Amino acid sequence: MTETDKSKGSKEMQSAGKMREIMAGYYIDAKTAEQTGKKVAWITSGGPVEPLIAMDIIPVYPENHGAMIGASKMGADLCQKAEEMGYSGDLCSYARADIACSLVDGGPIGGLPKPDMLVCCNNICGTVMKWYEIQARYYNVPLFIFDTPFCHTEYADEAKKYVQRQVEEYVIFLEGVCKKRLDRDRMEEVGRLSVEAQRLWQAVLDTAMNRPSPMTCFDAFFHLALIVTLRGTQTAVDYYRSLLKEMEQRVADGIGAVPNEKYRLLWDNLPIWYRLRWLSEKFAAHDACLVADTYTSSWSMSLRYTKDEGSFLDSMGEGYARAYINIGVDEMIKIVLEMVDKYDVDGFVMHSNRSCKPYSLGQYDIQRAVQRERGIPSVIIESHMVDERSFSESQTETRIDAFMEMINQKG
Amino acid sequence: MITAGIDIGSITAKAAVLSNGRILGSKVAFTGYNAQQAGTDVFDDLLKELEMDASSIEKIVSTGYGRNSVTFADKAITEIICHGAGAYYLNSEVRSIIDVGGQDSKVLAINPNGTVKDFAMNDKCAAGTGRFLEVMARAMESNLDDFGILSLRSGTPSKISSICTVFAESEVISLIAKGESREDIIAGIHESVASRISSMARRVGVKEPVMMTGGVARNIGVVRALEKALGVSIEVSEFAQVNGAIGAAVMAVKL
Amino acid sequence: MEELTDFYEAALNIGKYAEGLKKRGKKIVGCLCSYTPEEIILAAGIHPLRLFGTKETISLADAHLQAYSCSLARGVLEDALAGRLAYLDGAVFPHTCDTIQRLSDIWRLNTQFAFFADVVLPVKLDTESARQYMEDVLRKFRRDLEEGMGVRITDEALRQSIGTYNQIRGCLSTIYELRSANPDILTGSDLYAIVKGSMIMDRDHLAERLPEVIEVLKERVPSTDTAKKRIILSGSICDQPDIYTIFEKAGGAVVWDDLCTGSRYFEGFVNTGGDPIVAIANRYIERPVCPAKHTSNTARGERLLDAVRKHNAQGVVFLLLKFCDPHAFDYPYLKGFLDREGIPSMLLEIEDQLPSEGQLLTRFETFIHML
Repeated sequence: MTETDKSKGSKEMQSAGKMREIMAGYYIDAKTAEQTGKKVAWITSGGPVEPLIAMDIIPVYPENHGAMIGASKMGADLCQKAEEMGYSGDLCSYARADIACSLVDGGPIGGLPKPDMLVCCNNICGTVMKWYEIQARYYNVPLFIFDTPFCHTEYADEAKKYVQRQVEEYVIFLEGVCKKRLDRDRMEEVGRLSVEAQRLWQAVLDTAMNRPSPMTCFDAFFHLALIVTLRGTQTAVDYYRSLLKEMEQRVADGIGAVPNEKYRLLWDNLPIWYRLRWLSEKFAAHDACLVADTYTSSWSMSLRYTKDEGSFLDSMGEGYARAYINIGVDEMIKIVLEMVDKYDVDGFVMHSNRSCKPYSLGQYDIQRAVQRERGIPSVIIESHMVDERSFSESQTETRIDAFMEMINQKG
Repeated sequence: MITAGIDIGSITAKAAVLSNGRILGSKVAFTGYNAQQAGTDVFDDLLKELEMDASSIEKIVSTGYGRNSVTFADKAITEIICHGAGAYYLNSEVRSIIDVGGQDSKVLAINPNGTVKDFAMNDKCAAGTGRFLEVMARAMESNLDDFGILSLRSGTPSKISSICTVFAESEVISLIAKGESREDIIAGIHESVASRISSMARRVGVKEPVMMTGGVARNIGVVRALEKALGVSIEVSEFAQVNGAIGAAVMAVKL
Repeated sequence: MEELTDFYEAALNIGKYAEGLKKRGKKIVGCLCSYTPEEIILAAGIHPLRLFGTKETISLADAHLQAYSCSLARGVLEDALAGRLAYLDGAVFPHTCDTIQRLSDIWRLNTQFAFFADVVLPVKLDTESARQYMEDVLRKFRRDLEEGMGVRITDEALRQSIGTYNQIRGCLSTIYELRSANPDILTGSDLYAIVKGSMIMDRDHLAERLPEVIEVLKERVPSTDTAKKRIILSGSICDQPDIYTIFEKAGGAVVWDDLCTGSRYFEGFVNTGGDPIVAIANRYIERPVCPAKHTSNTARGERLLDAVRKHNAQGVVFLLLKFCDPHAFDYPYLKGFLDREGIPSMLLEIEDQLPSEGQLLTRFETFIHML
């Protein structure tokens, strides 16, 4: 091992270690909430978490838990359990794993803490609504649905009005469950911290524009946790500030995440949670660095719609409504092409995720558009993101190898 | 009263004769291309063996995929009902039946009076059926008859997670290439079959005593793997393969 | 039933019927969902035509939609790309589910019909703001239709259209009630032809035709056969008339349904007073809910139990389209509701290609036997 490799290894440890510490503390807080008198809300990954933070409600993310289940390779068993409960094997594997988990307190942390309320924002899919209805029946707790109409080509006035009214209804809902008023000053502070964390997160992702890139999308999948779960807290701001410094230092030292970065690739869709290391090593062995991805950048995409005037509550709606998978396929193509240019990408790796229709249906059109507009090749690999039983390692390997050979040929 | 049951499956045709509650005899033959002919043949052959005449059979019930082509039957009843009746006849305590054939598998929940309470079927997917075992035996270059016994030799079954037969086959090939032991892989294959079947079984609910029927019941490896997967003990009768025909003969008594 | 030839013809060959309309100078707009505000389309003098999955092999759609999307989406796209929907002047996509949302984009990007509209209806239907949004969206659709098709939609035209739809829906309700009281007056495939035909045929013509059908049905002598088991079907789309025939062969009689292509299409009237858009919005808010929308956590379960009791059903058969997520998510809880009341049920997952008759007959016969 060279000096550089060793130092890369030890620097990586720092941030990763801190993340694990923070997430462990966060889950402990959540699981002991009853004792500390705090309320727990389960919320969707695209949901408006800032009001929860402002009201000292602990936000818990069944989807983040789903990712952990996948990464711990416990998804297959839990999904099978869900099928035994009568849920079709074609349904989202996050949902299946979580629903089964509630019943058996399974998963890597012995199950999630019981929610006091459920907050479901459908800006990521319609599945979450069904999933949260199931949990609302199971736990018998209040459910708030934040309905963000699909923005095929625009954020229509009707939708704007509807979303804004729901922001008010959301606050009333939270105040009702918690039996206390929202502190509007605190809300603004949390809003400010949220925007700051998003800016820092985007800056971290931007460091991948460098050659070589100091990080891969697999690093991004790992460091994503806080911008999703604790957006609006000082903790998230501090973490990303320090992570950014670390990445900037690597850039200054010329350290690349992939030692011999020859090819730069863009990843599309959620990760295959139970094969991250395998994928990472596979691409690295081909001297390919997945420099960016459409998934992790979703959590700073709302910056496009952030306004400097007006209260956070008044302006947050558009960012939530125009989440990456709540917009038309042609709008997604625009963003993908932007990323191809920004990160100077040679190839496109698309994960056709059976668990996520809004993200996956339309991929074939996006693939063709990228080929047509930028002339870069792409490969499609298929899985259920948390259920290993539908994944074929040898098939996937063949496709990746063939794809890299194709890129190699282009030179 | 003497009755007969004829079970025309897609691969094998079975016949059974019951006399006053006793099994006089049974027979298995290949169905082949002509289901109607297969029904006639297996019935005639059984009668010949038993030195009986067709006129001594009072009622005949046909079952299985080809049940409607047995024109000389008095009634056609589905194989689910007949498997239930057959297993209940063999053991009236039985409350769950797992039937695994060459091309399909089913799980039945039985009421105390022998009627079917609920059922689940897999007839669209090779995984969890005899077909899966055939494909894997070929991949392992093993005799299908020894396959089950070989699986019992391993204490550390390999993990095969794919639910698709085609994917699983390539998983097995990778395991062979990786140098995992033959017995471990074969044991893993049997656990995989048991996993698909037990998953379906739990949807219906499993209550002991449990009986396994159908051709795959002769595979001791699958029986043991199922016992392990479900945490129950499973009874396999010597009449497992002809259980459908026996059940049909039982149903014929009630006509 | 020979009196239903016109319904059968329309149901079995939508293309031919649509070409006929086109020859008479009609404009046609296609839709895939029972939440399509057809009243507004009809008021524009345009013919709303329900689209169903294809009977042809899927190949062109494979380049746009993965195999894990439902056969309705894939089938409709296939027909559009293959040019078999050339008689359409356009299509309307109300918000339905994740798959249809994406189909809308793919359709918009890959076909060249003159008219296209998304109607992004609310997903939740239980709040005042959702109701307001529903009205706003319907008003927008009215404007989009006027601009896109170069027509004017007057309030008077809307009221007339509402009247026509109330008449059609009332007749379909009556036919369903007659059938429930006496299942033998109509075979399952006859009823399928009537309901499917009602989504395809000229609506003004239907408003006169359906009462004629009711008269014929009223003449039918009630049967004394009580051996048939009374069943309710629950699910999304069922465009497979053979299922009903096989079901009847197995000894069952479908006495009611909770299907998108069944009772959920026609239940619920539109108020004839006041602002017509508000009235239409109310109907879509109040009508029996589809699992892709939210009213309450248990609305569908309660409705299913009500239907079983009201129509004296002995069992429920769930006909679920493979890859239809909203229905698949609801199934376990609906089954739970039935189990708790001791009502037997059975699940059949259906696709483009039905399983063989043998396989279906086996399952249905077994279920009937269990009742």
